[in-house]
Amino acid sequence: MFTRISDIDRLFGTMNFLQKKLDNLYSDYGRSSGYRWELEQTFPRTNFYENGDSFEIRAEVPRLEKNDLNVKIQGNYLEISGTRESDAPEGYKTHKTERGIGSFSRSFTLPADVDSTKVEATLKDGVLYLILPKHEAAKPKKISIS
Amino acid sequence: MSDRKEIAKKEDKSIEKTRALRSAIPTVDIYENDDEILLHADMPGVKKEDISVNIDNGTLSLSGVRRFDNKGVSKWEEFSDVEYVRSFSVPQSIDVEQVEAELKDGVLKLHLPKSEVAKPKMIEIKTV
Repeated sequence: MFTRISDIDRLFGTMNFLQKKLDNLYSDYGRSSGYRWELEQTFPRTNFYENGDSFEIRAEVPRLEKNDLNVKIQGNYLEISGTRESDAPEGYKTHKTERGIGSFSRSFTLPADVDSTKVEATLKDGVLYLILPKHEAAKPKKISIS
Repeated sequence: MSDRKEIAKKEDKSIEKTRALRSAIPTVDIYENDDEILLHADMPGVKKEDISVNIDNGTLSLSGVRRFDNKGVSKWEEFSDVEYVRSFSVPQSIDVEQVEAELKDGVLKLHLPKSEVAKPKMIEIKTV
């Protein structure tokens, strides 16, 4: 059977279209919807990185200011807590509220003890950056071979 | 055959691919009063210069790109580089010239003022 090349082309076009549709299924990342857990809406998402002598934790905390956030460290235990207030203006009618409010608390057990006196915490564009230097005993050491 | 076309696209064949930026839908709150419509969108990690707001033909489209520079070995990653995209249809009564946007702590606040014509007017009732 002779199939014209344009038919094949159209077939691929349809496949691409379906592929796009499927991709869109996952694009509700970060959006509150029925089938997601309640927890995910109020808990900030975090990233964790390990560098040679420090750890780094990043957390998504849009709308939160310095005073709304608490960071507690004890040995290798870290706790981030905070309260998200509603920023709804006075005298306005509400059409849509997707952004959650309320307080949250999240705790982590770090792989090693950190030096709590040298921890740096910065808040920028709604992201909390925590640099946690490892405790002296937990730092990597270079062993020279004799 | 003269109308020869490539069946597989070039980019699908090349070995090295640049990872497409994942798109995400920002969560929004929308408020309205007599003078304006107010839109708050959560876009953590997006810088001011990486946001674009377009109003064209009754469609408001938001786009914000965030990129992190990652150092070290990641143990877990719950969020990543992302492009926040969302569009809304806005009523024609919005005064496009007067739209203002501000970004603070990862929250984009858009003020969409209504044009004079669209504002509600109190009609005085005369007694005859």
